[in-house]
Amino acid sequence: MKILAIETSCDETALAVLGEQRGFLYLEKNLVYSQVNIHKKYGGVVPEVASRKHLETIMPLLDHALGKNKLKNIDYLAFTQGPGLVTSLVLGVAIAKALSLASNKPLVPINHLEGHIYSNWLTHKELQKNSKKYFPSVIAVVSGGHTELILMTGHGQYQLLGRTLDDAVGEAFDKVAKLLNLGYPGGPIVSRLATMGDAHKYDFPRPMINSHNFDFSLSGLKTAILYFMEKKQKINQQDVADICAGFQLAVTEVLVKKTFLAAKKYKAKAIMLAGGVSANTFLKQNLKNAADKLGLPFFAPDLKFTGDNAAMIGAAAYYQIKNKQAKFYLGEKAHKLEPLANWPLVEK
Amino acid sequence: MKEYIAKSQAETEKIAKELVQKLRGGEVLALVGNLGAGKTVFVKGLAKALGIEDNITSPTFVLMKIYQSQHKKIKRLVHVDCYRLEKTEDLTEIGLADYLNDPENIVVIEWADRVVNLPKDAININIDYIEGQTRRVRVS
Repeated sequence: MKILAIETSCDETALAVLGEQRGFLYLEKNLVYSQVNIHKKYGGVVPEVASRKHLETIMPLLDHALGKNKLKNIDYLAFTQGPGLVTSLVLGVAIAKALSLASNKPLVPINHLEGHIYSNWLTHKELQKNSKKYFPSVIAVVSGGHTELILMTGHGQYQLLGRTLDDAVGEAFDKVAKLLNLGYPGGPIVSRLATMGDAHKYDFPRPMINSHNFDFSLSGLKTAILYFMEKKQKINQQDVADICAGFQLAVTEVLVKKTFLAAKKYKAKAIMLAGGVSANTFLKQNLKNAADKLGLPFFAPDLKFTGDNAAMIGAAAYYQIKNKQAKFYLGEKAHKLEPLANWPLVEK
Repeated sequence: MKEYIAKSQAETEKIAKELVQKLRGGEVLALVGNLGAGKTVFVKGLAKALGIEDNITSPTFVLMKIYQSQHKKIKRLVHVDCYRLEKTEDLTEIGLADYLNDPENIVVIEWADRVVNLPKDAININIDYIEGQTRRVRVS
């Protein structure tokens, strides 16, 4: 089985060709064109620029991914239908539809969050080999747009345990970076400065840490840092590092505690991390420690699969197809597909 | 112009609820205020007053979220966040054209000062941080 996967939900234009041999996944091509340097100039994403860049880059990437065989060896076309920026999603959806109509190969729409979850399968052969051993898994999906705690009871089977009530973790990092005038994207900068700071110098709140549910709230933490800065007024470089460290610790403690409690309550067989913020080594290490305490295996994606990529979309599609859960779209039905900018992984 | 002083998040939400009573549908609400001023808190108040059961989360990342309401005239709350945008952004370029000028929608835009072509009759809501939990809310 060979899958061409397309991902354009935000600032990355990504294509991958994923195959399977004796039950193991392999990547024939994995191309990611990131716009982060373009958007850095503006201090954020510019949707029209993002959309135009997707349009400029996707055709050359497609030629590069497929080579002279074009779609001849491809069996399925997987693409991210949502959630994401509608102006970016629309490009990937249009390309997927066009390829399907021209080649008569079936489309498999994939939820972007499910892709992030399967970045773990992409990374760990052990998961590919012995999936069943690790269900149910408690999975923390943390990125710029998402903070969700998910119970995965089997392939394609998810329960939403909790989520952020306001800001996502990655967003909180970005906004704290903005408050401290540190630049864009904020996550890597804050976590780098945090290594130079004293996490216990200032005590920031741990919102909802004792709320007896698995929801998160991060907007108040951002506000607490704002108040702190107003009060302190003069902030030197060491203060900035201490604030970053204190903030990162506060976020990590809440995430780790809730993940730990969820794993205990649902008798999880594994803990996993997914999404862009899974690149944060401090969070990763602390989650791993929590898993160790419970005697559970911990999985996190390889660094190259933490950010948005198409390989993870291909992997999600592969398991949907393999487990007969995929919905295939062809012809007129494929033509009617539209982006789903607010598509939740778990429908209410 | 109307000016309020809110001493808590609950009071900010109450001001939003009061505003909803005056809305007829089709309005654009332009919210302006710094990080941590309470713009999203204000939108949560709007949503509650419109009978929206969904929890309102920050739309910063995806720019726009749409909620179905239980209100008899206003069917949708379109929650837009221009935080990530360049200052010269046009409303249609973020995909908002489909939702403007529809009497069944209320469009609320956070960081509205980053948009160039706001409708002239938009209701401006400025939230300023005073101290601690206290905010000044100006509606004009």
